Amino acid sequence: MFTAIRRIIITAIRSLWRNRWLSLAAVLMMILTLFTISFFAGLLVVTNKTTESLREKVDISVYFSESTPKEQIFSLQNILLTRSDIKSVEYVSKEQALEIWRERNKDNEKIRNVISESDNPLPRSLDIKTEKPENLENIYNFLTKSDYQNQFKEISYRKNKDLIDKLVRITYFVKLVGWIVSALFAIVSILIVYNTIRLALFSRSSEIEIMRLVGASDLYVQGPFLIEGISYGIMASIVTSVIFYLAFKVTFERSVGYLGVNIDPSSLGLNLWFILAGQLVVSLVLGAFSSILAVKKYIR
Amino acid sequence: MVKDIDIREEKQKEPAVSPTPTPAKIEKETNQNVISNDSVIEFRNVGKSYPGGVNALIDLTFSIKMGEFLSLVGPSGAGKSTLIKLLICEEKPTSGSIYVAGRDITRLKKKELPFYRRKVGVIFQDFKLLPKKTVFENVAFALEVSDIPDSEIQQKVPQIVELVGLTSRIKAFTEELSGGEKQRVSIARALVHNPKLLIADEPTGNLDPVTTWEIIDLLFKINQQGTIVMLATHDKEVVDTLNRRVVTVKEGRLVSDQAKGKYVL
Repeated sequence: MFTAIRRIIITAIRSLWRNRWLSLAAVLMMILTLFTISFFAGLLVVTNKTTESLREKVDISVYFSESTPKEQIFSLQNILLTRSDIKSVEYVSKEQALEIWRERNKDNEKIRNVISESDNPLPRSLDIKTEKPENLENIYNFLTKSDYQNQFKEISYRKNKDLIDKLVRITYFVKLVGWIVSALFAIVSILIVYNTIRLALFSRSSEIEIMRLVGASDLYVQGPFLIEGISYGIMASIVTSVIFYLAFKVTFERSVGYLGVNIDPSSLGLNLWFILAGQLVVSLVLGAFSSILAVKKYIR
Repeated sequence: MVKDIDIREEKQKEPAVSPTPTPAKIEKETNQNVISNDSVIEFRNVGKSYPGGVNALIDLTFSIKMGEFLSLVGPSGAGKSTLIKLLICEEKPTSGSIYVAGRDITRLKKKELPFYRRKVGVIFQDFKLLPKKTVFENVAFALEVSDIPDSEIQQKVPQIVELVGLTSRIKAFTEELSGGEKQRVSIARALVHNPKLLIADEPTGNLDPVTTWEIIDLLFKINQQGTIVMLATHDKEVVDTLNRRVVTVKEGRLVSDQAKGKYVL
């Protein structure tokens, strides 16, 4: 069996070399396909993550006057928590507000020291996260019309909704275009690999004829072409992985800076490996599928 | 792993397959349907027609015994090539059956074909050699694609090349060889699996008279070692000199079957 595999691989490499320019075209086309698929997959990951992290941000903060009793704040918190459109309501005490202040201004000592524990003007607040950004307005209206409204110092209402909506639309668009373009490229690369294998078959037709005459098993006759197709896939996925890894790193870092959102790099790292593995699988399937198609058609 | 179809073994397992044995008739000139007890190859009412209504073979019945040297003659387009294609399972007959060692080869499964073909050596007018390979590599090729280990190839190929008298040219590329030498290489390749049947399809068609006799002589030697040789030819001189069995086909029909025949047409 080992001898057979060795001989089949040697034959495949020889055939690949003999048709090296055609092979190159096939590999390039596969690279293009893989790159397209990976590009859209990567874009999807970035847009999805960005949307997610935007959603994670606090949607509404309600700041209370100094005179408001703690119990009132907590009772409002309880009321809000019963609403189905609210994900979480977090109480921020004066001390916690100070900590956040200090953290935010850690690089600027002057500003940081303007406020101290003994003299803390920072108000207490409730940080509200909504289930869906669409509900923001409802909650805002509810708060401004509630019995508690005269206790509020201020309601800050982040207008993330529009941005999130835009991102959701972009994600959807990326998905749609990604599928269409990827499918087109996949079809074209199947056709090109198929054609390359077909030509390799023709250029070796006398050899194949002799093989059959002397009693070569199908494995020996068809195996090399299958290996050839698969090796296009392997070569393409290696090249694409390297290019993609570098490109992804650069563009990702830039886009994170541009969008100004904090994305956990470890979760994306996992996705990157997933994409690279996916590339290998996709290219193997493409290569094997096209060569099987050609072999089944042209070798009886 | 390697499953072999050994013609001798299978013959012992299934001896009498044939009806109406009339051994006496074989020695006479006859074109009747004669099937004897010890036949290894039997064509039974074999017909082959191609799409478009061409009848290449019509109701062909004859048999070949162990160790025979048989000439298959007939004009071009008589059906010789079709007959050979059927015998090496390259095509299937449209009617009838072909028994080899008691087995109907028209019913062989696709997986069994390679193993059958290893038991049938074929040589052609155009040699069908790989030009960019040496004599050794051409012969070794047949073994390589049949899962034979390298050590066995190294041992077996020189033996076979010696048998066909090409030891001094073993490292030469086949494109450098003369026609006769090329045919020897193709004979060596055909013999490398120790086939029980060697089919020669116009093996001397491209060769000069002297070389022709060298090849015929080689086929004769191979036959003497127990291999059935089926020689398809229209070389009258060769057939007449051989003085062996001659089967004549014409327009797809068997028109004569002589035990010690001449080329008659």
